Amino acid sequence: MTEQNQKKSLGARYSEFMDKPIARDVLPIIGFLIILVLFAILTHGKIIQPFNVRLLLSQTYVLMIAATGVFLIMTMGCLDFSQGSMLGIASIVICYLSAYNIFLAILGGIVTGGAIGAINGFFHVKRKIPSFIVTICTMYLFRGLCAYLTTNSPVYAVGNVYQYNTETVKLCLTIGLLLIIFLVYHFTKLGYSLKAIGAGETASRFAGIKVQKVKWLIYIVAGMITGFAAFINVIKVGSVTSTGGNMLETEILIALVLGGMPISGGAMVRYINIIAGVLTYKVLSAGLNMMGLATEMQQLIEGVVFLIVVALFSDRKSLKVIK
Amino acid sequence: MGEEILKTVKINKSFGITHAVKDVTVSFYKGEIHGLIGENGSGKSTLMSMLTGIYSIGSGEFILEGKKLNVKNQVEANRNGVSIIVQEMGTLSGLTVAENIFLGNEDQFVKFGIKNAAAMNRKAQALLDQYGFHHIHASTMIDNYDFEDRKLIEIVKATYFNPKILVVDETTTTLSQAGRDELYKHMKRLKKLGSTVIFISHDLEEVIRMTDRITILRDGELIDTVQSSDVTEDDLKRLMVGRELSGRYYRTDYGEPVSKEVVLSAKNVSVPGQLRNISFDLHKGEILGIGGLSECGMHEVGKAVFGASYDRTGEVALADGTHIDSIPTAIKHNIAYVSKDRDNESLVINDSIRDNICLTSMDRLSKHHIILNKKLDQFANRYAKIVSVKMVGVGQFVSDLSGGNKQKVALARWIGKDSDILVLDSPTRGIDVKVKADIYALMSDMKKQGKSTIVISEEILELLGMCDRILVMKEGAFSGEFKRDPALTEEDFIAKMV
Repeated sequence: MTEQNQKKSLGARYSEFMDKPIARDVLPIIGFLIILVLFAILTHGKIIQPFNVRLLLSQTYVLMIAATGVFLIMTMGCLDFSQGSMLGIASIVICYLSAYNIFLAILGGIVTGGAIGAINGFFHVKRKIPSFIVTICTMYLFRGLCAYLTTNSPVYAVGNVYQYNTETVKLCLTIGLLLIIFLVYHFTKLGYSLKAIGAGETASRFAGIKVQKVKWLIYIVAGMITGFAAFINVIKVGSVTSTGGNMLETEILIALVLGGMPISGGAMVRYINIIAGVLTYKVLSAGLNMMGLATEMQQLIEGVVFLIVVALFSDRKSLKVIK
Repeated sequence: MGEEILKTVKINKSFGITHAVKDVTVSFYKGEIHGLIGENGSGKSTLMSMLTGIYSIGSGEFILEGKKLNVKNQVEANRNGVSIIVQEMGTLSGLTVAENIFLGNEDQFVKFGIKNAAAMNRKAQALLDQYGFHHIHASTMIDNYDFEDRKLIEIVKATYFNPKILVVDETTTTLSQAGRDELYKHMKRLKKLGSTVIFISHDLEEVIRMTDRITILRDGELIDTVQSSDVTEDDLKRLMVGRELSGRYYRTDYGEPVSKEVVLSAKNVSVPGQLRNISFDLHKGEILGIGGLSECGMHEVGKAVFGASYDRTGEVALADGTHIDSIPTAIKHNIAYVSKDRDNESLVINDSIRDNICLTSMDRLSKHHIILNKKLDQFANRYAKIVSVKMVGVGQFVSDLSGGNKQKVALARWIGKDSDILVLDSPTRGIDVKVKADIYALMSDMKKQGKSTIVISEEILELLGMCDRILVMKEGAFSGEFKRDPALTEEDFIAKMV
């Protein structure tokens, strides 16, 4: 054997490493820590000051919650681009209902989100249209509705919703939701079914998983979760304009991918992708902001980082078509 | 002793943690047909894939006529005089027959950047006619031909330029007798021209008959190279497996009565374009075989019984009257189905062995709807061990396993589920003798436990050897029925098939 042959190419070593399950467990956390340390240095420690940490957290809740639902969808190898307009519509409903009763408002938000999710699910599952097409359509549809409902003026919630706008409430609600989804994801048949569907839909069907039912259910659940996120959004902002929830879907997608989520879903997906991803994304954008970079520059850098991470984490073996 | 044309020097290849080929050094002579055999996962296909540029070389060298050969893809391999007919579909859909034949070599028809399709079609048709495949038209889309014809086209593609080395990778298992004869003819023609044919097959009788020398691989290592005239099938089996195998692995009992108790019955089952009004009963402890030509609809019977067919009419019912209309119902009532399409239907290949084995038993493994990881590990380990899956751990992905091991995982799943009725479609397709023997033993075991099995197979000998009763299918309906009998021959069978 010649010496040259014994040395493995860097690429081969890398793909070998990525094939190990442990890589997918630790890399998202390492990535987050690197970004955190990097920006702690670049902003001379500003980003880890208590005030900024609190500010950062308060901007994180909505994204974190909504990302959880999309995470479930993406585990099955599907996509959802309608989250932003879904959040807008659900926020409007919550604002209307907040005049009557706060619990009715929360419920209204969840039902609205769930209903939009059901529409997505119907067209994807029953009419067999690829999910990204369906959700891009519903994204435009509900963005339009959102704009229509806010034509004359923003929709306001009644004044007393602000009383719920405390860090404790928001933190508890977020952690509570994350915990529930974590338990479902790791300790129930449904959780295993999601991963199996992402890894191979036909084979999952032959293993007795009710693929269509599960998919539809998850679209509804993801909608409900975003409806719930809309409540957090409303108590924080207090009103909805025509751009309410704008770009949320892109932020979710970027966050999840930054967290190491393979776009194709499946067995390589890890729960940690949500938390590490959302935090990494928020630290990245806040850090760039604090460094005083122009918005265009920020976007450019975010784009480059996004590309690099996707290239690193995509699961090439199973990447065929996004459903 | 012939003149050496190709030599592999200490070739290695690893996939992740699996060391598929280890330090293999073999010489191939000019003008010989050289058999390459070994169990599933012994590294035959991997070795040949590296030679022909399908995989990159891990380490080591191929020396062709004294020069180092390291090709990046099959087109480059062809230019160096090396071609391969692969095990699965080797032609590209969406292209014409001619485009497939000249794939990567279109330059000869290009003038001023414009492809002369007419000239290409003419040349392709001339080749097809020369091979005697008059029914194939060069300008037709390849999708219009069935698997068999597409293999014939591949034969043309791989041999028309008289390659110095032709690799035939388990092609014969998918071909009919006529197709095989066609392939043999061209292997012999190339041999006469002084080329070398490397022939991979699981059919040992065929290997001994066709080849001059045979190289045996086991677990990625070279075991021996022998003269074909000096060995018997049993010698080869011993070399492949590394221990003595009993000559017979089929059932040896005859004349034992089968229980009269019916466990499952199909009545007037039809599937548009596949099945026409078929009815049959499956008895307790019976191994029921269903055989016929590949396109006769027999594979759909398995799906129909499992509730997986679209647009099925008629009924499939258990003894207690339960109708089986969907996969979840079938699984709930302990019906198991192992598909012919192992990678897409039987197994979630981009998932771990553990998840694959546990997937159908989740209800049993959960307590108050809660599933613990540890329990899944135990369960998967237990059943992977029962069927002796060769693996690093249950966390390993199924996609890393060889064909035989994949099949074992698929079976482990259903044994773990404690299924009462097993529907096995082509259970030993592309599987070596040892795993075959294991699967047959398992089927006998199931029979002893009073479980019923439906075996759908294109291998007549397997059906004759294992089944209590065999139904023969032709054009979507049953055309004959045989009881287990040592006097039954393949000829009786074929008469009903065609």
